[in-house]
Amino acid sequence: MMSEAVLTNIKTRRVVREMSDEPVERAQIEAILEAARWAPSGGNLRPNRYIVIEDAETRRLIRLVSPGMFQRAPVLILICTNWAVCAEHGLSASDRALLIDVGTAAQTMMLAAHALGLASGPVTSYSKEAVKIILNLPASYSPEMFICIGHKAETVGAGMRPWKKITWRDLTHWERFGK
Amino acid sequence: MSANWVLKEDEAVELLALLITSARIQMDEPVEYGPLRLLTATERLSGLMLERSSDKTRDFLQENIERIPEMHMIMSDVAAYTAGLDERCRAVAACLLRHSALAEGE
Ligand SMILES: Cc1cc2nc3c(=O)[nH]c(=O)nc-3n(C[C@H](O)[C@H](O)[C@H](O)COP(=O)(O)O)c2cc1C
Repeated sequence: MMSEAVLTNIKTRRVVREMSDEPVERAQIEAILEAARWAPSGGNLRPNRYIVIEDAETRRLIRLVSPGMFQRAPVLILICTNWAVCAEHGLSASDRALLIDVGTAAQTMMLAAHALGLASGPVTSYSKEAVKIILNLPASYSPEMFICIGHKAETVGAGMRPWKKITWRDLTHWERFGK
Repeated sequence: MSANWVLKEDEAVELLALLITSARIQMDEPVEYGPLRLLTATERLSGLMLERSSDKTRDFLQENIERIPEMHMIMSDVAAYTAGLDERCRAVAACLLRHSALAEGE
């Protein structure tokens, strides 16, 4: 019989926006980064680069320019697209596969974190220009998404209510349209 | 009227950073997020003001602004969200009156 472990992991992962100060072990961070290496990548080109931020003052500054970062996470992983890799392979900035690569890596890291008993949350609501300055990013790096990693706070609010209840059926269409 | 400073320079710069980055990201985000960002800034300002406010302001902040995070949960219920915002608008108006010469002697 097929193991249910992966499906259960997928279904029970939730974005966590309230985290405790408890630090995350280095080996766990590395396991999450290794998982991202196994995420699928368009053309197997691997244009993503990951920046790990543990320093408290750097994290504080990033939060100040990130209105959508509600977490005070002990670890931030910033997924960047490295344009130098894209240029090498003639990929244009408008190629949507690049953002899909960010997505596959993000979800893989969040599922890996969940499997390790850690909490995670993605954040795209920040000023890219401000983040570039704070992290002194090379010109070829564009900061695409933060993954906050930490431990869930003991007392957590109710979380955002969904706009409406959604099942997979609401999101799926079978076969050709118009029949 | 009060001449007390309720923000330190660093705190004011941090609030300014939140406001300006919110303005920028709102260019790419769903319209519903506009109020959310303004409320986040409101909460942040309130948190900074609390320690150094006069009693009449502190009461208003504690009763109305500290409970804002509850509102984020109900964003999807537009009627309840609007009612929550209206309630706070009434409260801030009452707070303004308490600070104003208009209401003296009332
Ligand atoms: C592309 C993308 C961007 C997101 N940006 C943010 C963000 O800036 N801040 C935040 O708190 N959550 C962010 N989220 C998390 C979503 O709000 C969350 O996944 C959604 O509400 C469903 O919750 P769940 O993942 O716990 O089921 C983002 C998710 C995605 C996929």
